[in-house]
Amino acid sequence: MSTHDAAVAPSPATPRLPGRGRHLARLFATEARYELLKVLRMPAFAIPTLAFPCLFYAFFGLAFGGQSAGGVSMGTYLLATYGAFGVIGASLFGFGVGVATERGQGWMLLKRATPMPPAAYFAAKTVTALLFSAVLVASLFALGGFVGGVALPTATWAALFAVLVAGALPFCALGLALGYLCGPNSAPAIVNLLYLPASFASGLWIPVQALPGWLQGLAPWLPPYHFGQLALGALGVEPATPPAVSVAALALATVIGLAVARWAYRRDSGQTYG
Amino acid sequence: MTTRTNTPKRKPRPARAWLAALGAILAVAAFLALLPTPVAPGGESASGGTPWPSGTSRPGGTFAVTGARVFDGEGALGTVDVLVEEGRIAAVGAPGEALALPPGVPRVDGTGHTLLPGFIDAHVHAMGDGPEQALRFGVTTVLDMFADPEWAAEQRAKHGEPGAADVFSAGYLATVAGGHGTQFGMPVPTLDADTDPDTWIAERVAEGSDYVKIVVEDGHTLGRDMKTLDAGMVAGLARAARARGVLSVAHVGSRAEAEAALAAGVDGLVHLFLDQAPDDALVAAAVATGDAPGARPGPAFAVPTLAVLSSVAGVGTGADFAEDPRVADRLSRDQAAGLVRTYGTATEGDLAHARAAVRRLAAAGVPILAGSDAPNPGTAHGASLHHEMELLVEAGLTPAAALTAATAAPAAAFGLDDRGRIAPGRRADLVLVAGDPTADVTATRDLVAAWKAGVPAELAKPEEPEAEATPVVKPGLVSDFTSGPVASLGVGRWVPSTDQRMGGTSVVDVEAVDGALRIRGEIRPGFPYPWAGAFLLTNNAQMEPADLSAVAAIAFRARNAGSTGNAGSKGNTGSRGNTGVASDTGGGVLRVFAFAPELGMTPATHTVELTGDWQRFEVPLADFGVTSGQVSAFLLGSGTEPGPFELWVDDVELVAAGSAAAGAGQ
Repeated sequence: MSTHDAAVAPSPATPRLPGRGRHLARLFATEARYELLKVLRMPAFAIPTLAFPCLFYAFFGLAFGGQSAGGVSMGTYLLATYGAFGVIGASLFGFGVGVATERGQGWMLLKRATPMPPAAYFAAKTVTALLFSAVLVASLFALGGFVGGVALPTATWAALFAVLVAGALPFCALGLALGYLCGPNSAPAIVNLLYLPASFASGLWIPVQALPGWLQGLAPWLPPYHFGQLALGALGVEPATPPAVSVAALALATVIGLAVARWAYRRDSGQTYG
Repeated sequence: MTTRTNTPKRKPRPARAWLAALGAILAVAAFLALLPTPVAPGGESASGGTPWPSGTSRPGGTFAVTGARVFDGEGALGTVDVLVEEGRIAAVGAPGEALALPPGVPRVDGTGHTLLPGFIDAHVHAMGDGPEQALRFGVTTVLDMFADPEWAAEQRAKHGEPGAADVFSAGYLATVAGGHGTQFGMPVPTLDADTDPDTWIAERVAEGSDYVKIVVEDGHTLGRDMKTLDAGMVAGLARAARARGVLSVAHVGSRAEAEAALAAGVDGLVHLFLDQAPDDALVAAAVATGDAPGARPGPAFAVPTLAVLSSVAGVGTGADFAEDPRVADRLSRDQAAGLVRTYGTATEGDLAHARAAVRRLAAAGVPILAGSDAPNPGTAHGASLHHEMELLVEAGLTPAAALTAATAAPAAAFGLDDRGRIAPGRRADLVLVAGDPTADVTATRDLVAAWKAGVPAELAKPEEPEAEATPVVKPGLVSDFTSGPVASLGVGRWVPSTDQRMGGTSVVDVEAVDGALRIRGEIRPGFPYPWAGAFLLTNNAQMEPADLSAVAAIAFRARNAGSTGNAGSKGNTGSRGNTGVASDTGGGVLRVFAFAPELGMTPATHTVELTGDWQRFEVPLADFGVTSGQVSAFLLGSGTEPGPFELWVDDVELVAAGSAAAGAGQ
């Protein structure tokens, strides 16, 4: 029995399992590698995703570097919020627009016909979003640290890095839901329409306390706000919302995203885009 | 046959993948380690435990001071050399022999001069550029006794930096709602009977407070009735502070309060008192504080603040001090103004009591610390510490003891082990003065040089823009409200003003209606000294005063809303009488506020009774305690009773001195 069969029809024979596992792992790794390669070869995705947050941070964060917010310099404060902004973008676009487009291309139908488990497809997209987030956050850190004069203890840099990269996960789930709800042509517009206003209203562009009162009231209902607060918490800024609440809110957003995606996936099964 | 669940992700991946992942993690770690980190963080004192961050001064200069008399903070060492290396005192020589100095060390010739530790002011309110002003007078450390914790944290982060005195701070002070400390407009987390003292102290420690200040002041010596913390709460706070390793100090207003605070276990007093002579019980209480379990050994300490107490007692000598040529040249306009300022009304009290307390406490071994309470009326940052030393000598201390009170004593009392003395290893906070202050303490004013952490301090006052001439205001009509709430003074308009400026919630609407000014609003609770009314600047928005010395009184016509029937019929004094509506709508009284530099930050008020009919009132400026003729603003507003009010005002005028009508004419 070849190892290929193992993925399709699990065998009770114990000794073969390690081989099967290795094989599956290779499938996951291969899918992830090509997903990443694909994204890298689509500069129309990679460049704006990386460049926009850096550009925004350069405009706002560095221009207002002298002022302070929440007890830290504006350059430091906005490093956390534009980091969150960028990570959300990478996740929402990678998933939302990516999945919608690939559904439209019939790519999902094709993948289903291969021995690759569907999970590998999503895992590959998640890994890609995390890697993209890491590169993006590192670029912002380099910009803030070496150009913007932001200085933080190494442990704080590391904590902020970890929070920002991990924060990609809930937005991968939300992106997935969008990817299944939107058509391939409308997805970029819809994602932008949600992403940009929500980021602004969540205080990721300018500190939330600088927003008008009614927006400040709205912010806690938006997942990006909670991501931003956790990132600020990693900086040592007193968060406006307790971190436990923010973590719970993001967990809830993840669950809702996955549930909606599952529902939409079932709705779509065997239909237009598969 | 059972089916096995697949758990592929748990299975080991190929080694190469692990290596790649490891490499990526290492690369991220290396990148993060390369990112900039803060230079010389200001010490992690926020966690409590040790009350002081270790000195994190930046390396300063390396130099030697030779040929100067040295007062090391506790006593005179004679003429010895002192070597400073990288901002710290490296060596102190012995009399009669030259210190072996490393080759090439720059020398400062101190012949004929005296070298002392940088001064420590043990009671300031260091807002604004107070720390910069202090350093210009050789004060290298100030102990702030009430500040916004965020501001204090910013100051703490700058410890050791040149250009300004190091600031240590109590942060928020402990007081009750409406008590002393709540009147300055800064929100304070007040205590009530249900507050857990340990929680309150823990919050201050978490905010970074270097020590805590507890207010014990019922206002009776100031002729006011103020709420204050009860003895049990003071004792609880002192105990909690001790358990958390921070000092507790008490603001007191009377001998009885001083004794009560000491009995409650505070580590020190940051004022003495004017109301009564010190007695044995007070001295015994001060000496006995160290006997309490867990207390800092030894007696409590006392910061007499004679400069400000003499100002409170109306016998302040700040104005004379400001004219000392050794001081005058270095005073900024701000500082000079602060020194000549007085409390408008003198409080009953005798400075002799405070002086006697200094003598008796010092004789009993209670450490006396010099503190100015700048920038209160009669004081100025930095300068007033020199004044205080002179006042301590006048009270009976020897000049050397007064110098110790401004150097080694506060360092020892507050655990500032890295400064306050000229000894190897201490920070090179130094002042060099002409003459011998151990013989004549006023010699400290003759500053030759000062260093903070080995870095020379700028002693000359900074260039100040030419002061704009104070505009002279002539008597005459200010507003008749025929064309809006306009005025012939200042910025030219009456504007609404309420205690919202200070965090209160009162509201007001100011509008010219039918040729009179209607002031309508509501006094709401929230700020202990509520106000709402119409505000008129006499000069500019910076609250700089105008010269009203040709003016004797402010006069106006006013009524309440009682006679709504004839509202606006200007000049109608027809007697509809008070129909009783007034008591429903408020507006039974009108308060006139005057703001003047000599009154300090708090305006003086004068209250007049209104009826439903127009009446003319005339309030002499002298009734506000304004004698200099300098007035910044007036405010016409409601009384302090909560509730809605409506006042009508018309024909506001400034009455010339010597004019016929005097007193509150009707």
